[in-house]
Amino acid sequence: MPREFQRGHKARISDLTAGTDLYVGVQITAPGLTFDISCFGLDADERLSDDRYFVFFNQPKSPEESIQLLGAQAGDTESFRITLDRIPPQIHKLSFTATLDGAGQMSQINPGYLRIVAGGEEVARYAFNGSEFSSERAVMLGDFYLKDVWRFAAVGQGFDGGLDALLKNFGGEVAEEETPAVPQQPQAGAAAPGFAPPAFGAPSAPAPAPAPAQPQPAAQGFAPPPAPAPAPAPPVHAAPTIVAPLAPPGGGHVPPPAPAPAPYGQPPQQQPYGQGPAPTAPMPPGYGQQPQAPQAPQAPQVPPGYGQPPQPPGYGQQPPFGQVPGVPGQQAYGVPQGAPQGGAGVAAALQQFKETPTGQRWTQQNRKLVRVDLGMGGQPVLARQGSMVLYQGKVDFSYKGAGFAGRIVGNATGQEMQLMRCTGQGQVFLAENSTMLHPIELQGDGICVSAENVLAFDESLQYEVRRIEGHGIPGGALFTMQFTGTGTIVVKTQGTPVVLPVTPTTFADCNAVVAWSSAAQVVVSSQVRMRRNAYPGDTGESVNLQFRGAPGNFIVVQPYEV
Amino acid sequence: MNQPFAGYAPAPVTARMENHGNHMLKVALQTGNDLLARVGSMVAYEGFVQYEPNPPAVRQIARDWMTGEGAPLMKCSGDGLLYLADYGANVVVINLNGDGISVNATNLLAFDAHLTWGVERVKGLAKFAGQGLWNTKISGQGWVALTSRGKPIVVDCGGGEDETYVDPDALVAWSPNLKVKGKRSFKAQSLIGRGSGEAYQMAFSGQGIVVVQPSEDSTDRLRVRG
Repeated sequence: MPREFQRGHKARISDLTAGTDLYVGVQITAPGLTFDISCFGLDADERLSDDRYFVFFNQPKSPEESIQLLGAQAGDTESFRITLDRIPPQIHKLSFTATLDGAGQMSQINPGYLRIVAGGEEVARYAFNGSEFSSERAVMLGDFYLKDVWRFAAVGQGFDGGLDALLKNFGGEVAEEETPAVPQQPQAGAAAPGFAPPAFGAPSAPAPAPAPAQPQPAAQGFAPPPAPAPAPAPPVHAAPTIVAPLAPPGGGHVPPPAPAPAPYGQPPQQQPYGQGPAPTAPMPPGYGQQPQAPQAPQAPQVPPGYGQPPQPPGYGQQPPFGQVPGVPGQQAYGVPQGAPQGGAGVAAALQQFKETPTGQRWTQQNRKLVRVDLGMGGQPVLARQGSMVLYQGKVDFSYKGAGFAGRIVGNATGQEMQLMRCTGQGQVFLAENSTMLHPIELQGDGICVSAENVLAFDESLQYEVRRIEGHGIPGGALFTMQFTGTGTIVVKTQGTPVVLPVTPTTFADCNAVVAWSSAAQVVVSSQVRMRRNAYPGDTGESVNLQFRGAPGNFIVVQPYEV
Repeated sequence: MNQPFAGYAPAPVTARMENHGNHMLKVALQTGNDLLARVGSMVAYEGFVQYEPNPPAVRQIARDWMTGEGAPLMKCSGDGLLYLADYGANVVVINLNGDGISVNATNLLAFDAHLTWGVERVKGLAKFAGQGLWNTKISGQGWVALTSRGKPIVVDCGGGEDETYVDPDALVAWSPNLKVKGKRSFKAQSLIGRGSGEAYQMAFSGQGIVVVQPSEDSTDRLRVRG
């Protein structure tokens, strides 16, 4: 589960992940607009003193490649690879920004996010949308900043002026009435002038140099983003932008900047292997104590004990903090030298999987499990036979027959559900085969679901089999279950489904469509082409369902064709 | 070349067992601190690791595990990083720290060899539920990794006065101090093909937790593959 960030939230990166090889993905889109997403590597005064650390499409990596631009992938508009322990010491902050290319303003953007992926999973996500912005043309989305350790902050602060305001913010003085793209570097250590690429053409209004603001002394008091405000325009930062509350809304899980659990704070000693009773000869000298070369790719000496296999270079890819050379008896990996995330013991380890109590009849415990409290509402639940995984309380499970007519219809149409009736007082947990579950609450409206995708529903709902006619369908017609009334139905899908609004051109494979709102009208569109059908190389996509309906109708399609 | 895979590199080791993603377990092995893991669960390793299937001690303890064909455990020893997985099942890592846990045999992925463990048959139930239910009781100071098909749920049994009933196919683990008994919700009408599909449950009572997976697929995939 990624941790959800909101504007103003921040956390140590070591609390998010132990990894230092991070992937940062940004999704920001808007109809008809394009964005330039870049990463500024700033010094201790929050200045872009070295323009080689302005990573953008024209300069896709920093000199030592600790910051690399990877391009669009996996749903992200832009992505970066950040190797924290290779970032040179003069860089104290990485600011991820998005600027509008062309006309437009930030309030037009679609919901987007900035996310951090490490160790194979997403560990943090800061989601934003257009309602948080107004007329800004550039926005600082999030920062990695070094305060004792590397931290991440969700910033979400915009600039009306676009890229030039952004550059001014980072670059200090833009040389007055100079050619736009050559601002001067006020800071020492600037290697090359002109960090603004010509492509960007920043018009550079003369700006009184803001006193280089301190990098916010208090780590916690970060609420207004720590950027040094250009002196003349403080309202830019405060007024229009901040719509969302800076304080975490109640209930949201705030990154607790509290005392980090032991293993995080101080670097775990990484001297791998073979210190123990060491039947394998003297302890490998190479390992984990290459203090000089933090990522010495080949340990120079081969530890004698290990012999055959070529040395894997220091086990945690680079020994990033394993600098403590040879404290004897430090068991390397291994020995539980401290609690894991959030403490030791069975209860602590399983804390994250605890049941979430709510006062509702239907509760989704996680994406694959729902809980129904039969005591509430007092009516029985019909569920697919065998879908109960656990229950508490006095619950009775009994066979629910379809009735004589139901059997006949079921046999004829294939729309038959093997149901059981759950009655009594207590909580029943339902799941089936790790499919994803979606409780849908009906309030007098209707939904059509294929019978095999129904997991459970309130007995108060009415259901009947509907027929979809059309030529070209194997068997002559398609059947589906229509549920109407007031109550909840749990639909299951194999994999993450897509929910499409019904438009004049909405088509779905009849094998993959799971459900649709029953106000939508279904038409079968089959592509009959003599030439196609004459060859064995048929596309296999000959029978499609087309949906028509008023706006507000939707269809649900799963990534699995039964 | 490897850029699209950025973010999937292993994180530096901070503990003996860690998750890599939700579905993979990373174990830092060192000499003298061996690991018992399910046979066939290894997906990758770095370093110098040796595997010994069916070590005699294990065979003795688990001699009639499952169908009695021998224990599906191997002993991993050496120095290195070991990656384990079970067909994409979620992996849950637990630092026991003196606690104990009772794990369904098919849901056990790996545990430290120095832990106290034993195999026992769940009474009263084995005769009815297809494959019979064997569980491994583990306790001590060390690490255990479980698998679960889908994200598991943990239910506290002490919550109500009633017992907690679990479908044996969905059961993953429970606190060993819970009282277990089998329950048959078996009615005459079940015999004529009108059962509810929920014929057997396990009833837990007492103070402790039960871990349940959102799937009733309890087949042992590692074992099926052989």
